[in-house]
Amino acid sequence: MTDRLKKLALAIVRPFYANRRLIGYYWVRTRRNKLAVAGLTYILFLICLALIGPLFTLDPTDVDFEQKNMPPVGFNNPISYYDAATDTLTTRELSGTWKHPLGTDGKGRDMLSMLVSGARISLMVGLIATGIAVFIGTLIGVLSAYLGGWVDNVLMRFTDIMMTFPFFLLLVLIVFIFGPSLGLIVLVIGITGWTGTARLVRSEALSLRTREFVTAAKASGARDSRVIFRHLIPNVISLIIVIATLAIPGVILAEASLSFIGLGDPAVTSWGIILESGQQSLDTAWWVAVEPGFLLFLTVLAFNFLGDGLRDAFDPKSTV
Amino acid sequence: MTENGEILKVNDLHAGFFTRRGVVKAVNGINFTLMRGECLCLVGESGCGKTVTALSVLRLIESPPGRITGGQVLYKGLDLVNCPIGRLRQIRGKEIGMVFQDAQSAFNPVFTVGNQITEQIGLQLKLGRHDAYQKALTMLTEMGIPAGERVMESYPHQLSGGMKQRAMIAMGLSCDPPVLIADEPTTAIDVTIKAQILQLLTELKQTRQMSMLFITHDLGVVSEIGDRAVIVYGGRNVETGTVADIIDDPKHPYTVGLLSCLPDLTGSSGRLKSIPGTTPDPINLPHGCTFHPRCPHAMPICKKEVPQPRQLSADRIVSCHLYGENDAG
Repeated sequence: MTDRLKKLALAIVRPFYANRRLIGYYWVRTRRNKLAVAGLTYILFLICLALIGPLFTLDPTDVDFEQKNMPPVGFNNPISYYDAATDTLTTRELSGTWKHPLGTDGKGRDMLSMLVSGARISLMVGLIATGIAVFIGTLIGVLSAYLGGWVDNVLMRFTDIMMTFPFFLLLVLIVFIFGPSLGLIVLVIGITGWTGTARLVRSEALSLRTREFVTAAKASGARDSRVIFRHLIPNVISLIIVIATLAIPGVILAEASLSFIGLGDPAVTSWGIILESGQQSLDTAWWVAVEPGFLLFLTVLAFNFLGDGLRDAFDPKSTV
Repeated sequence: MTENGEILKVNDLHAGFFTRRGVVKAVNGINFTLMRGECLCLVGESGCGKTVTALSVLRLIESPPGRITGGQVLYKGLDLVNCPIGRLRQIRGKEIGMVFQDAQSAFNPVFTVGNQITEQIGLQLKLGRHDAYQKALTMLTEMGIPAGERVMESYPHQLSGGMKQRAMIAMGLSCDPPVLIADEPTTAIDVTIKAQILQLLTELKQTRQMSMLFITHDLGVVSEIGDRAVIVYGGRNVETGTVADIIDDPKHPYTVGLLSCLPDLTGSSGRLKSIPGTTPDPINLPHGCTFHPRCPHAMPICKKEVPQPRQLSADRIVSCHLYGENDAG
């Protein structure tokens, strides 16, 4: 087990080490874009939070009706309750406590722990679905460009059809038929979301295909698969990184919107699910909806800033 | 015959590109034979089909739209046009190496030069990573590159043009192929480096007993490096012979024209000559001899019939109606 982990870690670290000069170069270029650095910092923080945060927070499923609708620290929330002694409706101010720094929801669950575990779900959805989409898109784009002819035609027309397909409707339909499960949602987002990637990668690979180094590779006896994986794909990696970075927020939002209209996986607490539960109690406990909404907003913004920064850094024509 | 002589023989090769505008007939029945240990130059203007011929030898033309439409390429008796792709892959790089015109674009920009040479050696010679690296380093040293390790660690854009071209030749020769196809390897570099590269190639040819198919438009280069030359026009060879013969006594009007275009450094002044007209549109090649619209000696028969190659002497072949049966004597 540890051996396998070591190998995995090595496989991730080695390419970074082998290309350290190139990565250093891109880092210097990215660093000049302050928004991109801020985005990257926020994303790294979020990833750490999602990875180790749940170890420190309370159990997000812990229901405690004694503590329901507690406001965040520094806020007060007037609540009305029926006082049996005087037989009247009395209003009492509830103040936020450090036990629940971000307050609690209508069932008395700790918002902070829910948001932290929600970060884990949302990031996982974003990364896995984008990973699937980018993988399929790259493969189809590169194959289409490299093989050309009728293969190109078939693959691109298929892409067109997929593009015109209302995927959100498909998602709703599938969730309706098979029931809401997070894995299914991720899979559907992944296998419908590759079309843009395929087109962009194809156009890039089309121009790469006619470059002399491809001919040179073939002249040295390389197979088609080798040309594709060794010469074409490494040359579109920068494009893929930018596409993926810009696609992640869209996927996170798609999952959130799905949860918001009540088609999310009820077994998990994603930001979308919390948001949805919060909208029903906006008048009594505004923070339940506002907090996950704000996090979603920040996360989407951070990924977009980072994506823009990376695009400028990878673009040899830009003078950043 | 094959024992001491031919290593690569191109027979009536045709290649074209099938575009929407029509068929671009780039190569229209070219014939030549590369002998063991010699340097054969394919000479012609831009767009005459030299490069397509070179690429067709290893079936490297872009397909689609390009296709070899006829003829044979015999390497040691094996027809490369029709042999299975797997067999061809074993020949590419290992038996017939290739050097490209623009070393900048012939290296993959995202890998180091060493990485790419090592990869090719590992691929074709089935060597381990360490052995392949050592071999690549030896190759670079042989190319006259002093700081081999530094070049190995460099990305293509970090090297100078001459250095890249040397590295390119090192890659072409890395598997010690008996035949090297060099497609205008000196066109993109400046004159001083060009002389060094030509000298290097001549030395390599001698030390390695290598046969070289050298493609160029530059008759100066031909006289420097070539043993024999094939003059190509409109995708056909119009004249074949030893370099000395062709330069001293050109037969085909096109060759005469090419030679008269060379600037004369001995002092005579006046405008530089040129061949009137341009290379023919390969989609609508002229009937008969493709050179007749530009030929100062064009005769009525030139517009109708394609001149057949005629053997003028032991190794002199000309395709021109001026040297018909009657005049050949």
